[in-house]
Parts: sequence; C-alpha cells; structure tokens
Amino acid sequence: MSVEIATTLPEDALLAFVTAQRWFGAKSREPVGVRLLDHAALRHEAPLLVDALVELRYAAGTHDVYQLLIGLRQSGAEQANSVIAELDGWTGYDAFADPAAARELIHLVRGSSSLPAEEGTLEFHTLGAVPQDGAAVLRVRPLGLEQSNTSVILDDELIVKAYRRLEAGPNPELELLAFLTRHEFANVPRLHGWWSYNGPLMDATLGIVQRYVPNSVDGWTLALRELPDAPEAFSSRLRRLGEVIGAMHTTLASDSDDPAFCPEVPSAELLALVTATLDEQIESVFQHLPDLPELEPIAGRSDEVRDFLRSLSTFGPLGKIIRHHGDLHLGQALWADDDWVIVDFEGEPARTLPERRRKRSPLRDVAGMQRSFAYAASAVPEAPATFEERARAEFLGAYREAVQGSGILPDSDEAVERLLSIFELEKAVYELRYELDHRPDWLGVPVAGIVRLLEAR
Amino acid sequence: MTQTLARAESGRPGHWFEADPLWFKRAVFYEIHIRGFYDGNDDGSGDFRGLTEKLDYLQWLGIDCVWLLPMYPSPLRDGGYDIADFYSIHPDYGTVDDFHNFVDQAHQRGIRVIADLVMNHTSSDHPWFQESRSSPDSPKRDWYVWSESDERYPDARVIFVDSEASNWTWDPVAGAYYWHRFFSHQPDLNYDNPAVREAMLDVLRFWLDLGIDGFRLDAVPYLFERDGTNCENLPETHAYLKRVRAEIDAHYPDRVLLAEANQWPADVVDYFGDGDECHMAFQFPVMPRLFMAIRREEATPIVDILEQTPPIPDNAQWGLFLRNHDELTLEMVTDDERDYMYAEYAKDPRMKLNLGIRRRLAPLLDNGRDEMELMTAILFSLRGSPVLYYGDEIGMGDNIYLGDRDGVRTPMQWTGDRNGGFSRADFARLYLPPLMDPVYGYQAVNIEAQLRTPTSLLRWVHRFIALRKQHPVFALGTWEALRPANPHILAHVRRYEDEIALCVHNLSRSAQAVELDLSAFKGLVPEEMLGRTAFPAVGELPYLLTLGGRGFFWFLLRSPS
Repeated sequence: MSVEIATTLPEDALLAFVTAQRWFGAKSREPVGVRLLDHAALRHEAPLLVDALVELRYAAGTHDVYQLLIGLRQSGAEQANSVIAELDGWTGYDAFADPAAARELIHLVRGSSSLPAEEGTLEFHTLGAVPQDGAAVLRVRPLGLEQSNTSVILDDELIVKAYRRLEAGPNPELELLAFLTRHEFANVPRLHGWWSYNGPLMDATLGIVQRYVPNSVDGWTLALRELPDAPEAFSSRLRRLGEVIGAMHTTLASDSDDPAFCPEVPSAELLALVTATLDEQIESVFQHLPDLPELEPIAGRSDEVRDFLRSLSTFGPLGKIIRHHGDLHLGQALWADDDWVIVDFEGEPARTLPERRRKRSPLRDVAGMQRSFAYAASAVPEAPATFEERARAEFLGAYREAVQGSGILPDSDEAVERLLSIFELEKAVYELRYELDHRPDWLGVPVAGIVRLLEAR
Repeated sequence: MTQTLARAESGRPGHWFEADPLWFKRAVFYEIHIRGFYDGNDDGSGDFRGLTEKLDYLQWLGIDCVWLLPMYPSPLRDGGYDIADFYSIHPDYGTVDDFHNFVDQAHQRGIRVIADLVMNHTSSDHPWFQESRSSPDSPKRDWYVWSESDERYPDARVIFVDSEASNWTWDPVAGAYYWHRFFSHQPDLNYDNPAVREAMLDVLRFWLDLGIDGFRLDAVPYLFERDGTNCENLPETHAYLKRVRAEIDAHYPDRVLLAEANQWPADVVDYFGDGDECHMAFQFPVMPRLFMAIRREEATPIVDILEQTPPIPDNAQWGLFLRNHDELTLEMVTDDERDYMYAEYAKDPRMKLNLGIRRRLAPLLDNGRDEMELMTAILFSLRGSPVLYYGDEIGMGDNIYLGDRDGVRTPMQWTGDRNGGFSRADFARLYLPPLMDPVYGYQAVNIEAQLRTPTSLLRWVHRFIALRKQHPVFALGTWEALRPANPHILAHVRRYEDEIALCVHNLSRSAQAVELDLSAFKGLVPEEMLGRTAFPAVGELPYLLTLGGRGFFWFLLRSPS
C-alpha cells in the first residue's frame, strides 16, 4: 500500500479533525476549506507515516498552514486514537502520539536525514549527539497541556515537540534553544535536534527534539502548592528564579558576532512605536468593555490609563534590546533538582513570527513574570497579603544583580521602573482582552493589575 | 548561527515568506526617496544604513512593500532616473552590501522591497553611451538610437515640454542625432538590438539574485520606435516585457513587475498581457479625478473613469496612489479638465511642472484633515493596491521654491529637533533643506509628535492600514458602483468569498443624506468597520444614511447573528 493514500483523506474529515484540536488557533474564524499543500513519507511500512502541510481557508479569504503527521494502519489491525477518517480498509489518524512515529522521528533526526516531499524537502538535524536511538525507545506518552504544538515524551529522556501552525522562517524556540545550548546555559532543557521543511511553499521549522526534565513541577503548580503553607519557601525560590532569568538574559546578550542575537541600541522611536501600539490596544479594549461588576474599578478610566501610558513614554534611557523568552510566566519555569529550568520559547502565540523574533527590552520577560505573581496571589486566597509585593521584590532584586554589568538595562532605577510599568501595562491589557474572551472568572486579576499601576504613579 | 537553522540563501525571499504569487494584490506599498528618508552616516544625505534603522517604523506602520526610487550611480540630473551604472549603488546611499543587508533585514520583518529600474534609457554618462558615441564603428554604436536627421518619428510627442524642444539632440562627438524621450541627457537604449535586450535581462537577474522582490519599471511604453507611429505602446515593447516576465516566472517566483505606463486605461491594460506581462500597473487616470471629484464635490469623475477601465487578468493588480515623487500628472485628462485642475490646485504658476502640479497631498488639500482621511479612505476602498508616498502619512508639505520636483522630495520629518531628526550633519550639508515653515515645518509636523498624539493623522493612517489588511475583500474583491441619486456621494460594494463591504463617501463639504438601493442585501446588518457599531438592518425601503461633510462610512454587511 502506498503512502499516497494519505492524499485521499476526505476534505470534510480533515477539516472536522483539525478544527476540533486544541492546537487549532483560529477558533473565532470560520474555516471553509482545507487543502493538502505538500507531504513527505517518513515510513513506508505499516504504520505508514506522512508528514503533511495542510492549508486551512477562512471565510474572509485568509488562511493558515498546519502540520499533520498522518498515520495509516489497516483498519481493525489495532485501535488507533485520534482517527481522522476511515478509507478503503485503512484508518488515517493523527500519529504524533503513536510510539512508532516518535521512534521514526528520532531515527531520522539522529541520521541527519533528508527526505523528499512532493514539492520541497524535509531536513533533519542534530545538535551534538542525540543520546537515544529511536529503535530503543520503549515508552512514549503525550505531554498534554500544550496549546499550539504537540509534545510526546520518550522514556522520560527526550521530548519531541511538533509545531502545528507553521509560519515562514525559523521558529524562535529553535533559535533560542540552539543558542542557549551552544552557549552552555544550564537552565534550559538542551536541544538535541530539529526538523524543518524547505521548499517553494516556505522554509519552516516543523519540530524539535530536546531533553526531558523528569520529576519536575512547573512554577504555577508549585505556587498553588506552597503558597498556602510555605510562602517563605516559595518566595526564596523566586529569588533563584530572578537569578536564572538574569543569567539567561546575560547569556542571550553575550554574542555580538551573531546578528540574530547581538544586543542592539533601540532606534529613537522604538519606545514611541511600542506605546502607540499599546495605546491603540487600550482604546480598543476599553471601547467594548461589558457592564460587569469585576470591571467596575477600571470602567470609564480609559483616558486615565492612556494618560498614564503617555506619562511613561517620554524619552529616556532604554538599555539594550535583545532576543528574549517572549512569553515568560510561572508556568514556563520548571522546578527540578532544586533549580529552575525555563521552557517554551515560542513567544506569544497570537503574534506573528517576525514579531516573535524581534529584539525587545528584556524587561518584557520580567514584566511577564511579575504579572504571573499577581495571578498566583489571586489563585491562592490563603496566600499572605504581602505575597505579591514580596515576590516582585525578591525576583526583581535577584534579577537586577544577575544582569549587572551586562549593559542590557538602563542605569537608573527610575528608568527600569518606567519601562517595567509600560510592559506590565501591555501584559495586563493583553490579559484583560484574553480573560474577557475566554475566562471571565479571572477578570479581577488584570483589573487589579491596571488599578495597581494607576495608583502607584 | 542562524545560517545553520535555516538555509543561508538569504537572497531567496521564500526564506522569510510563505509562497504567495499574488502577494502584491494584498499589499500596501510605501514609496521611499532614499536620499530623503534617513541619514545613517551624518553626511547630509539619506542612505541604506539609515533606511535599515527605520525598519521598526515601517513595520509598525504596517506597510507590506517598500518601493525605492532609483538607487544606482547617477549624475542626478533627473533624480537618479539617469542611471550611469546598473550594477552598483550610488555612493551617497552606500554599497551593494548595504543594499543586500537592508533587503534581508526588511524580509526578516515581513517587508518586501521593490526598486525603480529604468529600462528605456541611461544617463549620457553611462559607459555604454560614451562608447557608443565615440565612433560609428564602436561595438556599442547600435546600443542607442542614432540618426543623421532630427526628422524621424515626427508623431512622437515631447514629454518634458518645459525643458525639451525635440526628441532628437545633436551629439558633436558622434556627429549624429540621438533619440531621447525624456531629457536630452538621457539617451534611449536601442531595443532593436538583441544585445541590449540581453544586457537588460542580465541587470534584472543581478538584483533578483540579491533578493529584491521586483521592479517598478519606469517609462516602459517607449522601449521601441517605429516609423509612422507615436512610438508608444508598440507590439515590440509588449513582446519584450513578456520575455522579461517569462524569465521571472521561470526562475524567480513571487517577484513582481510594476509598470509605469502613464496612459489611458484601455492602453494600460495591454501591459498586463494575458496575465503574462506585468503583474501590476499604475492606474494613472484615477488620481487626478480623485482630486477633481473632491474639489467639485461630486462622485462622477471617479465612477466614470472606473467604469471605463477594462477588466484585467485575475493574476494582475492596479497600483493606486494619491501622490508620488513626480508632479501630479495631468497627461491623462482632457484640456478642459487640465485647465480646471490648474485653476483649482496650482494657483501659483510655480506649482506647475510639465503637464502637472508639483505639490504634496496635504498642501493640495489645504491641509484639511477630513479631506486627507476621505481621500485615503477612497483610495483604500478601490480595486487595487494602495501606494503611499513617504511623508504623506504625517501630512508633510512641499517647497515650491525648490527646482524641478525637489519640492516634494524634502527630508522626512522625524522629530522637532535640528534638521527634523533626518540627519546629524551640518544644515548646510543637507541635500535639500527640510521644511521649516510654521504650518508644515518639522517643528509642527513630525513623526515623533504624531506617534505620541493618539488623534494624529499618522495614528489614523496606521489604524486604517491595519483595517484594510484585516479584510482581503479590499484587495481581492469585486467592485460595483451604487450610483445613488445624491451626486455628492461615492458609494460602492466590494465582495470577496463570503465578505461584503459597503463603502460610502461624502465628497461634499456639507452634511448629506443619501438613499442607497441595497435591495440585494435585504436582511443583512451593516457593521461600521472602525468602531464595529451595528447599524439598522437593511429592510424593504432604500437604506437611508446621513454623513457629515467629507465624512465616510465603511461597513461590513453581516448576517444577523
């Protein structure tokens, strides 16, 4: 049987499958069609495996490209999960969770293989040695949780992470992990390899292979666990987190020979551009605020928030702009073996790839983490009233010590505070919009964050 | 290190873009005079280093493609359209490496780059011409059009009527007349010579290999000459452009050819061929009629010219603009219309140049904010890709006391600081003085101030570009004029896939009511696009709208939910 059968999957079945997935990002847009753009066979014996790029088209005339790893087994041979469609005695299914697929991907990465697709090429690469042979993998389990990608864990040793929505250009996570791995930064799971699609359609990163961090707990879960009974212990962990993020930024700013990472002096109007964009977001989110009691503290205060922003954006020292995490919060920090490991370097999923690759002030990451402390304080009613202030102070203090001498921050405390306020406001406004759309129960957190900024001035 | 993560062929634009052979149909273009944009090396002239520094601004503005005015070595007797070397960069602007770096940095931000290329002629300083004139036996003699007399091709008009008396000029070195459709220092290349045709293809390949996304082909109607014709739009010219297109299609996917053919619509459409010639062409005749319509306060001039415009191939697109680096050209209007335009828009004779008016957008509209918004809205609502001219997004002015077209090519006004933030050089070294008058000068009109002012024109243009790009209907949709009874109202419907946009513009200075026949859309709910406010559903009766003076509404017609 030929892998070409994957190209005969009915359009309605593909559409129904893709739109039902968590990683399908365009929930608010109406998909009207799907099309296979290119595909490459990874495996020619059962289960057959096909890495496919599919195009989702929307009613307004826009489209997105997604990656599917399609598996094909003879129907009834074995129960497959994630079935896409049955056809001609074969079951087509989404194969990332299939151990056979994970083994094949590891095998191809280890071999630095290159496979032809119809139009382009799939290229597999290693960074150093991949510690495990694909064939030797025994246990494969899905990581769950992820929103824009699919990850599977192999024998508690490796993670294979496949990106679902594809954009042209290297995925920022690949760039950052490769950079940090090569510069021997210890607090990220090291990168072992990746695979990418290169062709007339686009050049895009399809997925990565990295070390799995066993026995870890993410910072958010840890906060929920420790804040009621051991807030002191948690605060001291945040001190360490500040050091780790500071060291990470120092490393990211350490190579002026690499144009993609070389720290830069921001252009004269960069801050004005950032604040103009934020000002428009504030205007638009406040324009459509519903009449809810949780929103009462900020209702009608749009002008006040915008005035506050304007008062911050007068020109002053900005420090340097560098590549950074881009979507940092407690959930992206894993606690394992008495230290933090930072994960998920893709950046904010709602932003385009060119935006996610942009250099910005590292204080964006700091602001993201500080907003996360506000969420933690709100999620744990038993947390001490002073927790958020304490967490901010511990984290920021340690962070600033760790980046000292790197030249990435402006010298004066006042300038650091001013930039942090801008980025916290940016984050809180993003949260406000997100919670309005998805989780109204959490609206109090961004509302309190905005009020806090207004009152601190 | 990135080279190992993604392929190192930075010259290939596919490296940073998803394949999209029709990207130009959705794009907002932005025309830049490199010399006037930003000075990166403090010598008083804008350059590629400076331009690269300002990519953050261009990315924020939301434009998709930069169009660069000529960047080649040149004696600059025609703003660089007199090219002396096709394979290099003017030293004032930097080096080929600086250009390459700019293109790569632009691509990394999702911005494409096209550049002006003059195929029709060279500077008289070009080594090809120097060799050609040197001797009748020169191997390059046939690269230009020589004649014993100045009587040939009498039906070809003179274009630069203010400076040239004839299309022939006597060259004492060559002992012959040479042919030139523009200035006498710009001899026309002889496209009957296969060597010239190949040489120009080599030039195109050189820049395409460096990653450029296409060319704005200057003065394309004039490549060939034939007895008994006006020497414009000849079949031989079209055949050669098709040959260029075939080269692009075969080896350079997703690149674009944008023709400058200042001709009537029926002639311009020939430059699209059957979708096998130029991808884009400017729709010149629309532009003066937009200005005529707003001055006369009636929609007819716009609707008439659009309805006279023949259909174009699906894979082609019009380029639409309000103003550009040249004079507001009045070649494609009737004599009466030209008199009207001069009377209304060029009250000072200094404002006239050739057959046109050398002024920027804001002064043409008496610096009226409502008028600038209305004209931009109309431009963005029509079929075609809008092309913005640098500085018009902040309402920059002009200086009619500078010669030729320099008055609309003054330095970009970045800040209220010295030299308008354009250059740190001594004022006396600047290529042209920045505007300093109280209304349009850099202290009153600059990017820094407008960025900080939420109600500024710049911030409005930014939001408006974003709005247009969210709705492919404007780029790809059909166009149907509604022709309401109120002559002040320009109303049309755009449709693409499931999206329907209704655009209604009031050209009058005073408030107007209009009844629109929307019977085809009965039951749908107009949602105003900027504020997302729902209007009453379309019912049985004509749809009544009231608009403020120079006001407009853009609606999406939605099913009631």
